[in-house]
Amino acid sequence: MVLHRRAAPPPVSTARGVDAAPEAGPDEGNQGVTRTDRGDVRGDLEAVFRRDYHRVVGVAARVLGSQAEAEDVAQEVFLSFSRSSVPGDEARAWLSVAAAHTALNVIRSGRRRASRETAAAESGVLGDVADAVVTLEERTRVRAALALLPEKQAAALVLRHSGLSYAEVASALDLSPGSVGTTVRRAEQTLRKELTRHASSH
Amino acid sequence: MRHPTEGTLRRLLDEPAGVADVDRRHVADCAECLGTLVAVRADAALVETALAPSSQTGIDLGLAWQRMSAATTAPTLQPRLRRTGRARDLLRRPAAAVLAVAMVLGGASTAAANDWLQIFRTESLAAVRFTTADLLALPDLSSYGEIVFTEQADVHEVSDAATAAAESGLDVPIVDDLPRGVVGDPVYQVGRQVTATFTFSTERATQAAAAAGESLPPPPPGLDGSSVRLVAGPGVAQVWSSSSGAPALIVGRAVAPTAFSSGIPFETARDYFLSLPGLPDGVASQLRSFAADGTTLPLPVPVDEVMSRTEMVKGSPATVLETRDRTLAAVVWVDDGVLTFVAGSIDDDEALEVAWELR
Repeated sequence: MVLHRRAAPPPVSTARGVDAAPEAGPDEGNQGVTRTDRGDVRGDLEAVFRRDYHRVVGVAARVLGSQAEAEDVAQEVFLSFSRSSVPGDEARAWLSVAAAHTALNVIRSGRRRASRETAAAESGVLGDVADAVVTLEERTRVRAALALLPEKQAAALVLRHSGLSYAEVASALDLSPGSVGTTVRRAEQTLRKELTRHASSH
Repeated sequence: MRHPTEGTLRRLLDEPAGVADVDRRHVADCAECLGTLVAVRADAALVETALAPSSQTGIDLGLAWQRMSAATTAPTLQPRLRRTGRARDLLRRPAAAVLAVAMVLGGASTAAANDWLQIFRTESLAAVRFTTADLLALPDLSSYGEIVFTEQADVHEVSDAATAAAESGLDVPIVDDLPRGVVGDPVYQVGRQVTATFTFSTERATQAAAAAGESLPPPPPGLDGSSVRLVAGPGVAQVWSSSSGAPALIVGRAVAPTAFSSGIPFETARDYFLSLPGLPDGVASQLRSFAADGTTLPLPVPVDEVMSRTEMVKGSPATVLETRDRTLAAVVWVDDGVLTFVAGSIDDDEALEVAWELR
């Protein structure tokens, strides 16, 4: 399965977030998609939303580090999905890719709360278990590094760490299955260097 | 033989079955590859931790679906909803909590502990000027407590004006002269009363502040667990569609919001909410300036996308809004606890003209 070729492509991320996926033709890639009388909203939207919302938020949260912002991105992604003709059985992968791209675009475009991040970075270590491992400053660093990674590397990294299999990542990003490990590894090396470089400078 | 690539070693960590047998056997017997594997594993673990979201509260799937459903119910408005998508989130942000608290100031000192006491009734509107940056600076309302919708609007279409009036209990405004380009008969929609309760949680607010790297000001005694109940509606709307199917004109009326207290000392609560981290100074000062009378409903206006001014409509001050690209305009005013609005793909003068001529 090559997602980009069989279904409507994942949404294009812009400075505003996710744009509508290009419309598929009437006979193209819309099997199983029914429409309601609510304009062009697809009939399976609620079922897919309830099934995949947590997953989509999880993908975006790994990029953004914030559940609230991730939920904002998830809303944008599902809104785009609601107007798409992506077949239902490809929805999960499509949504995951869209969430990754849209969230990456958020940190790239700088529309997130830069001042808040800076303030947070200056505050030291957070309280809970996960936060005890990585300081807020490192979180800010790693997301700045994420923003600088090549798009495909960053997306592969986020999707893999969100639980997609290598085959799913390959399919979603139009990579060969053998190259996913290499792509993820390069991204992890870059992030590790960024984290340790900053740590050693303090 | 050659060593497997680091990419192969990376996959070995996650999906050993996806790695060729020959590579797996090689790694098992190769000290160099095993050393590399340790480094690859360490990097993967570090990144896994680094990518973990900073705070995970429970996802409210029902609320999330409500937001989505609202955004998709009027599909022809989607491009604009998306463009101002952050504005939708206002409902979930502490500005809303601040507004809720700020609305309920007058007479609050007499609030009884065990009864829902009405302490706010909308008699007028005042624009609160936000920028998109202000909105982005606001943390999520759920960070400060719990918001529960106990009654839903359940907006639905009815056959005619008489049915809309009967169901809503409101006089349906009559439009005699439609703006140029707006033709045909309207569709009537009715929404029921909506009730939402916000309950402040010191624990949640403390966690949210810590996650944002800030410290929470000590809440005043009695605030933890206290609630504000907001009630609005029912309402009715008439929608005229353009030839493209997009809503060209919407004229509606609704019972304006009322707030009740479960016993919060509101002057104290107002000062406290206005001091919370994340609320821009300019917004706080606007709220503080008019929030004391218990009758003025703050109307959030994203000033970088929307222009606003005040005009008189039927003896009441009305807020006139127009998007900066001049594609949408709205007029909204309150008279005797009932909010009326005219909005659509028209300019501000056309919206005012309709508002003035309503019967």
